[in-house]
Amino acid sequence: MTHAIQRATAAALGAHVILTEYDQLSGDGDFGDNLCEGLQRAVRQIDARPHEDPFAVTAQVFLDEVGGTSGPLLGLLFNELAKARASGDPRWLSTGLEAGAAAIQRVGEAQRGDRTLLDALVPAAEAAKADIAPSAVADVALRAALDTAAFTARRGRSSYVGARALGVPDPGAVGIAILLWSIAHEDIAPEAAGAAVTALLPRPASPLR
Amino acid sequence: MSSLFLTDDGVDLALRGFARVHPQVSLHADPTYATTNDRHPNRRVGLVSGGGSGHEPLHVGMVGRGLLDAAVPGRIFASPHNRQVLEASRRVAGPEGVLHIVKNYTGDRINFGIAAERLRDEGIAVQRVLVDDDIATENAQTATGRRGTAGTVIVEKVLGAAADEGHGLDDLVEVGADVARRSRSVAVARRAQTTLSGGPAFTLADDELEYGVGIHGERAAETIPRPPLDVLVGRMLDDLLQRHEEQRGVVLLVNGLGATTQLELLTIAELAAEHLGSRRVRLLDVLVGTFVPALDMSGFSLTTSAMTSDQLHYWRAEADAPGWPRRPR
Repeated sequence: MTHAIQRATAAALGAHVILTEYDQLSGDGDFGDNLCEGLQRAVRQIDARPHEDPFAVTAQVFLDEVGGTSGPLLGLLFNELAKARASGDPRWLSTGLEAGAAAIQRVGEAQRGDRTLLDALVPAAEAAKADIAPSAVADVALRAALDTAAFTARRGRSSYVGARALGVPDPGAVGIAILLWSIAHEDIAPEAAGAAVTALLPRPASPLR
Repeated sequence: MSSLFLTDDGVDLALRGFARVHPQVSLHADPTYATTNDRHPNRRVGLVSGGGSGHEPLHVGMVGRGLLDAAVPGRIFASPHNRQVLEASRRVAGPEGVLHIVKNYTGDRINFGIAAERLRDEGIAVQRVLVDDDIATENAQTATGRRGTAGTVIVEKVLGAAADEGHGLDDLVEVGADVARRSRSVAVARRAQTTLSGGPAFTLADDELEYGVGIHGERAAETIPRPPLDVLVGRMLDDLLQRHEEQRGVVLLVNGLGATTQLELLTIAELAAEHLGSRRVRLLDVLVGTFVPALDMSGFSLTTSAMTSDQLHYWRAEADAPGWPRRPR
């Protein structure tokens, strides 16, 4: 059975180079590596533990095994998505996104506008409250993620480089958009996910030398 | 290959060496953390601290009777992983939970914070005391606030003794936050620490001094012409004292940054004591040694803590940990 984490893995691998280019301009360049490695580990663990919820397994992998700060923060999001879905709530996506955004805000002490992954997650959580289709929530996250290209960072990885990061979106916010896209598009096979997501993301205007 | 006397194993060998020398501390692997085998029976809250390595004896050396129940070392100058904090906290949590003592750095805040979320999910009560004593970072425009440095030693010692009296989690948070608020530090360096790839982290001329340096070799806002030592100590104390709401009496910590000799530190302590006397500030106690270095930086920090009488009682209580000096009464 195809699950959202398989699709997310394929999508992230497809976008790996672009994510790294974004992060090299705004941070230390390892966001794409951490996201792809974490998702690949999660897929292996999900295969090995077929009776457990894929989101719960992904949460544990990101919390326990992924380095950097954004990996474990994504683990907190998957943890809340898993809890919300396990509760049987038909509006689990909205509940999980809201609780996940709240946990990441508590821990990361960042707010919307600080040029972090919250700039995609918080608008997505707000949109999901309106009971729209998951694909519409994912669209909101993607638009919001791409809008961060105009933000100056106060927190998170790009706060150290200031205005240098202007022009490319925050890779963490784009990571959130990729995950939500993968959760929403149950109709798209993993083999097609990489190309589909890559087509949505602009390449940096000034390529690195 | 490091130019320091270290191997490519990072800090693992040093931790194993530490455990061999100090059998009263248990070292746990995968994930790495250290716990005391000598916990006071009255303790109801486990005290956990941690942070990057390169600041020894902090934090692992502060594990012991009257101090920390557990410490979580990261790699050199890097935050520990949240899983280390989680496992250490699970192991030492008391009936009233666990208290995290965290130096104010983004990585430490986030990793301790993630562990705290996971502990609460498991039903373990957890609170945090943040140490942010470094006045050199007070006026930064960013939202990150003052760094946590040598004041951590004071917070850990006071909280350790308070925890041994059987105080609950909320009481300890109050005591810890208050003594942290009453403690301020400033550090100077005449030579940066050696980087792992070799060479100094930054260079200074012989007649220059980095005033307000960080414990990871963060440059200060100011490089100043090096003043006579007596003038320097007076300026540092003036900068500290004006930050205290109350300054009738202070505990003074003279801390070496790694390559500063005891002869130098004792000289600095005596000059500081004289300055405090001439400013009519009572010296409640003074501790001199290398507690929170920046690898082999040549420099020192002064910490003043305007403690309450209760906090002073906790500060003076006996403690037995590898990094805590024996202080005959």
